[in-house]
Amino acid sequence: MSFNFAIVLKFQEALLLGLWTTLKLTLICIVLGCVLGFLLALARTSKRAMLRGVSGIYVEFFRGTPVLVQLFWIFFCLPLILGVELSNMASGIIALTLYMGAISSETFRASLKSVGREQLDACVALGLSPWVRTTSVVLPQAVLRAAPTLLSNCVSLFKESALVSAVGMADLMFVGQNISNNTARPVEVLTVVALIYFVIAFPLTRAVTVVEQRILKRLAV
Amino acid sequence: MNYSFDFASVFRNFGPLWEGLWVTVQLTIAANVIGLTLGFLLALLVMSRWAVIRLPVTLFIEFFRCTPAIIQIVWFFYCVPMLFNVFLGSVTMGIMALGLNLAAFNAEAYRASIQAVPREQLDAGIALGLNPFQRILYIVLPTAVRNSIPVLLTNGIGIFQQSALVAIVAVQDLMYQGKTLATQTYRPIETFTIVALVYFALSFPVSQIVGYLERRREAMAS
Repeated sequence: MSFNFAIVLKFQEALLLGLWTTLKLTLICIVLGCVLGFLLALARTSKRAMLRGVSGIYVEFFRGTPVLVQLFWIFFCLPLILGVELSNMASGIIALTLYMGAISSETFRASLKSVGREQLDACVALGLSPWVRTTSVVLPQAVLRAAPTLLSNCVSLFKESALVSAVGMADLMFVGQNISNNTARPVEVLTVVALIYFVIAFPLTRAVTVVEQRILKRLAV
Repeated sequence: MNYSFDFASVFRNFGPLWEGLWVTVQLTIAANVIGLTLGFLLALLVMSRWAVIRLPVTLFIEFFRCTPAIIQIVWFFYCVPMLFNVFLGSVTMGIMALGLNLAAFNAEAYRASIQAVPREQLDAGIALGLNPFQRILYIVLPTAVRNSIPVLLTNGIGIFQQSALVAIVAVQDLMYQGKTLATQTYRPIETFTIVALVYFALSFPVSQIVGYLERRREAMAS
């Protein structure tokens, strides 16, 4: 059989548009998901059993079910329950943010544990309010320690974002599948789409290693 | 919210869901067998002295780790029959795609724990006159496998969850049956909730075991 990779170039613009949707979705969900994840991590280490319980169930549930099921649930069930129409983008953002929140909360929880008990005692001794303690003492250290894992969570989210194609959102994966079905050239088109994902995700995974080493060096000082 | 729930409609049609669950379990177990064995082989190859072996294997691992699982599956289903002119059953194809994906992730887990095997133990192996094969079998393998069990288990549940993706290429697993049932009965909320609960019920105990193993190791280390 013969290959014709030039055919992919004809659909450059459509693919770029799809890539833009993928990136936009990923970035929005990273920002919202990290905020949610940090709050969840605080809730899971809270003194109140109620907060701990609810956030624990939430995190375990989202980590214990396939993202595809979560997406389908939010796309088909949330509008029924809320009684309002949700746009594709909105549903996608909700689903992936909830997922990102769950996985990043585990990362934050591990890094919160590493902030020494003495430091919290010192905050009490200095008379800092809980808000100041959280934002100026806990947050900076937690984020620094969480950075490498958080970065690999972001890569996971970028990869999982391809799932929104299954519910008809026009991201890179969806556009690629459409083109491959219409041109009957799956080998060329799907390979190029996979390469695009690879070209973005691979440098990020390398960056994880670099960041890890940097931070280890910094914390050792 | 004025929606009347009818979970009974799902339970009346539980037959297809059972069949789907069985396919999902088959996919998971077979993919894990491939992932655990091929993954170890890949981990050994990726640490090879010769770049000719190391580079292609690294590329293979990184490619599977850095692209979405869904595109790997779609690629496998569309391109493998065209490229190699082979037509296998859809479940076999699903097993192969998931197995290769898991092998790449497990290879990383094995590599990390193999590299954590202290250098002295290998030197001791040489001193005892063990050949390279025996050194791997009796020194590296037991320690490395024991150390990597938590990550391997986590990856194993990961592939259990990722196996839902084969529904997109019409393999009749739990997710696929759930989707069909939701459309047939017009009961998406009930169906997807139950499907989610089934997945959760199977993966939660395993993740608890992982947590227990990790805590025990931390306790032993300190």
